[in-house]
Amino acid sequence: MSIKFLEPSDFPEAAASLAEHGDEAKIIAGGVSVTLMLQQKLIAPPVLVSLGRIAGGDSIRQSSDGLHIGALAKLRNLEQSSVVQEWCPALAHAFRVVGNVRVRNQATIGGNLSAADYAADPPAMLIALGASAQVFGPDGKREVPLGEFFLGFYTTALRPTEILTGIIVPPLPTSARASYHKFSSISAEGRPCLAVGAVADFDADGRCRDLQIAIGAAVETPQRVDTAEAMARGESLTDELIAAIAEEYAQALDPLTDVRGSAWYRREMIRVFVGRVLKEVRDGNR
Amino acid sequence: MAIGRSVPMLDAPARVTGTVDYMINLRLPDMLVGKVVRSQSPHAKLLKVDVSQALHVPGVVAILTGPDLGANALYGASIKDQAVVALDRVRYVGEPIAAIAAESMDAAEEAAMLLDIEYEELPAVFDALEAVQTGAPILHEKYTDNIFIHSKLRHSDMETAFAEADEIFEDVFTSPLAQQSSLEPHVTAARWEGDHLTVWTGSQAPFMVRRVLSEILGIPQESVRIIVPPLGGAYGGKGHIRIEPLVAVMARKTGGRPVKFVLSRAEEFVTVTKHAASITLKTGVKRDGTFTARQVTIYWNGGAYADASPLLVPQGMVRSVGPYRIPAVRVDSYGIYTNLPPAGAYRGAMSSQATWAYESQMDIIARRMGWDPLEFRLKNLYVSGDRFATGETLHDVHFIECLQAAAGAMPAGPSPEVNKEKKVGRGYGVMMKSTVSTSKSQARVKLDDSGVATLFTSTVEMGQGAHTAMAQITAGALDIPFEQVRVVGPDTSVTPFDSTTSASRSTNMMGNAVLAAGAAMKRRLIDLAGPLLEIPGEELRAEGGRVLTKDASISYADILKRNGLPSLEELGEYSTALTMDPETGQGISTPHWHQGAGAAEVEVDTETGKITILRYAAASFAGRVVNPRLAQLQNDGNVIFGLGPALMEEMALDGGQVTNPNLADYPIPSIRDVPLELISVCIESEEGELHGIGEMTLPPVAPAIANAVEDAVGVRIKDLPITAEKVLHALQERLKP
Repeated sequence: MSIKFLEPSDFPEAAASLAEHGDEAKIIAGGVSVTLMLQQKLIAPPVLVSLGRIAGGDSIRQSSDGLHIGALAKLRNLEQSSVVQEWCPALAHAFRVVGNVRVRNQATIGGNLSAADYAADPPAMLIALGASAQVFGPDGKREVPLGEFFLGFYTTALRPTEILTGIIVPPLPTSARASYHKFSSISAEGRPCLAVGAVADFDADGRCRDLQIAIGAAVETPQRVDTAEAMARGESLTDELIAAIAEEYAQALDPLTDVRGSAWYRREMIRVFVGRVLKEVRDGNR
Repeated sequence: MAIGRSVPMLDAPARVTGTVDYMINLRLPDMLVGKVVRSQSPHAKLLKVDVSQALHVPGVVAILTGPDLGANALYGASIKDQAVVALDRVRYVGEPIAAIAAESMDAAEEAAMLLDIEYEELPAVFDALEAVQTGAPILHEKYTDNIFIHSKLRHSDMETAFAEADEIFEDVFTSPLAQQSSLEPHVTAARWEGDHLTVWTGSQAPFMVRRVLSEILGIPQESVRIIVPPLGGAYGGKGHIRIEPLVAVMARKTGGRPVKFVLSRAEEFVTVTKHAASITLKTGVKRDGTFTARQVTIYWNGGAYADASPLLVPQGMVRSVGPYRIPAVRVDSYGIYTNLPPAGAYRGAMSSQATWAYESQMDIIARRMGWDPLEFRLKNLYVSGDRFATGETLHDVHFIECLQAAAGAMPAGPSPEVNKEKKVGRGYGVMMKSTVSTSKSQARVKLDDSGVATLFTSTVEMGQGAHTAMAQITAGALDIPFEQVRVVGPDTSVTPFDSTTSASRSTNMMGNAVLAAGAAMKRRLIDLAGPLLEIPGEELRAEGGRVLTKDASISYADILKRNGLPSLEELGEYSTALTMDPETGQGISTPHWHQGAGAAEVEVDTETGKITILRYAAASFAGRVVNPRLAQLQNDGNVIFGLGPALMEEMALDGGQVTNPNLADYPIPSIRDVPLELISVCIESEEGELHGIGEMTLPPVAPAIANAVEDAVGVRIKDLPITAEKVLHALQERLKP
């Protein structure tokens, strides 16, 4: 029952290993989620395919089509990256509030997203930013919007032989502002009870041109509420409108219950934090 | 003088650099790994435990099941109700049914899956209040009401006293099931050599382990050797007996090969817990701000086996009354069986649950009566010479100083308003805790002819700095430099007897034993020096590592050398033996009282219910401080530890199964949860008795925070932990018509 540990040197080789071992193989990157699942006997894969030796898999760079982040980039490097900080301070913040520094030194963004643990920070911010997942598989590369990437608890759109190789965050208009709020209901280092990522673009008169808010950790997969976002378009974000949008989010979503909060409490927190995050993007505090 | 100096903790560099020889690093020649197979049912008859398939797994050496146990299969601190592995019935999810010794964990795990276990499910009960109802499932036939112990305190006529009250308050306060969560799990190894057993274990009570193993195994205590390396935390969870019997009995089946068990984090949660408790306080007060009577009824959820509870429930009774002058007191403290893992001591044992109740009610009373909560406390706190509800006279009492020190550390003036969402409030808590009533500590000091002293002590070093404190006391007792003292820790074949490292008793009990050994050593040295100096012994004194008069002196080392003695040894002993009447609780309950207080300033977010501790001041009565820096760290550590039960910790259960048995879903305080400002005060007294301080500032934390929350936003939480969700819920309920 000892585990076979493979260390491919590039993504095609990694994909070939997955194809060869089928259901028996599990990908490991930083090992945060996989190690927890191994320890708790939730998985017992005979083969681990480690991505740790793939050269350049952790690159962080910007180009005309957006911010490119390699799947193997550590959350700690992302939070400290001047590229990320300049691109979007709220995104750097969403990385910085994950667990503690020991976790972030080990966790990769690819592992964080592929594990599809609902109680996570980065997905909500990335979805609000309109990021996409870059996926490599036997049929070549494809791109999946992160909003369509999470299918359920610990379930993603990745096919069994596919690997997440990176993400692309599209450019933000200079007139847009973003904000991320992690709400920890219990311990400061605990996983989020609620994650709220918001991006709003404003016209010269301060009216909201466009709004994306993604809610994570309180629901099975990160969710946006189109009807609520539509309420903002072309409008000034008055306190009254913000309250109405927050209410719409609270009513439209179906929160879950766990040790970090009941469905009732999470609905209340969605209302509170959608309101707070909207005031922040309106007032430009971040 | 070595006592009173902030010398660094002896093993701090080793702990920080990871070179401490924790149990988990222990490797013995030919050692096997052990694995426990546990019940998946909360209550069932065991119809079959078939090991035949599992024994065929390559690498499996032996499997232990109920039929392997001899006549003395049952053990327990005073009620022998627990089997080493289940015999014919299981009573909680996680109860050991079998143990496997194998060459590798892979082999052990494969064998575990091949064990064929059949259950016949029985009805189960998890709540202590439900377990005492008529018709509830019975766990142990001898106790048909599931009450395995009922401790009583009866002091004065309650009826008359309540009749004299102007107001009577009755409230119920609850504490949930929790886990000690030491970072180091339970780890034990055992090896048999003929009829002799050696056990290496992370235990707080090596001599208790030795005695119980000798009883279970039917061999003399001298044939059992217990070695305890430094621990990575314990917090009561490694007190009494834990996995040692299972490991020792397993090792008897391996043909002399040693076997080591390392529990997983999930197993920790089914090995020992903190008692869930429901405490009803009925208190009579007069309009002049004095008490007339208090009636306390406590239901301690002991889990499926009595374990240490028969020792702890009577202590919980004494610890439930509180530090205030109340003329008439009645306490009923019940230990109750349920289908949950057995409960044991948890840092601040029983006091945490009890202080949560009596200090919360102090504010309820004060606010309803229109009194200032601080003044109400100061008016009623015990002072030296008062008589406690047990009838004993209280000595060296410093509650008022502790509370004033904590309250005085808060800024003057009312708490400032932040904004409309965030409100600030202050609260206080005071704690009165007994220590072990009957116990003994021995210390052996060896002085060699180089002048180096070695202390042999069975006090367990578990990160609290006990060995550093003992080395300082040794140096102080002999009057030699701290650097000339070595410490040898618990090994029952080498170090003398000690009852336990728990209840904050070591600095006092072992400290006094060390002082006694040191005094005896000084007398010996003076006796030996007299002829050398040609001066009568009564004119000599031992000081600064020398025996001297004003005209002549000789070093300790030279005294030994010139007498041809390579070394000298002296034994010191300190013990207490106190008793109370079992029917009335009258008598003497403790050699001295642990005293602590706290003051909290919190900010409550009224939209989320989230509490931020802006400032916390903790004061403990320390008698005479041995090491100011370590004492402060104990005070601070208590507060940080106390934030766990106050704000976070609760084992989640589904049908008796723990659903959050990991530190991601069972949060404990992290460094970022520490109050923004943390103030520590140690109160000393003229008597200068050595006191323990490992718990004093912990129990006040939860009520001080709850009291501050009420001060801030006007809601009262009576059920721990004080979560943001509970606060928000209470805030919304208050707004309803």
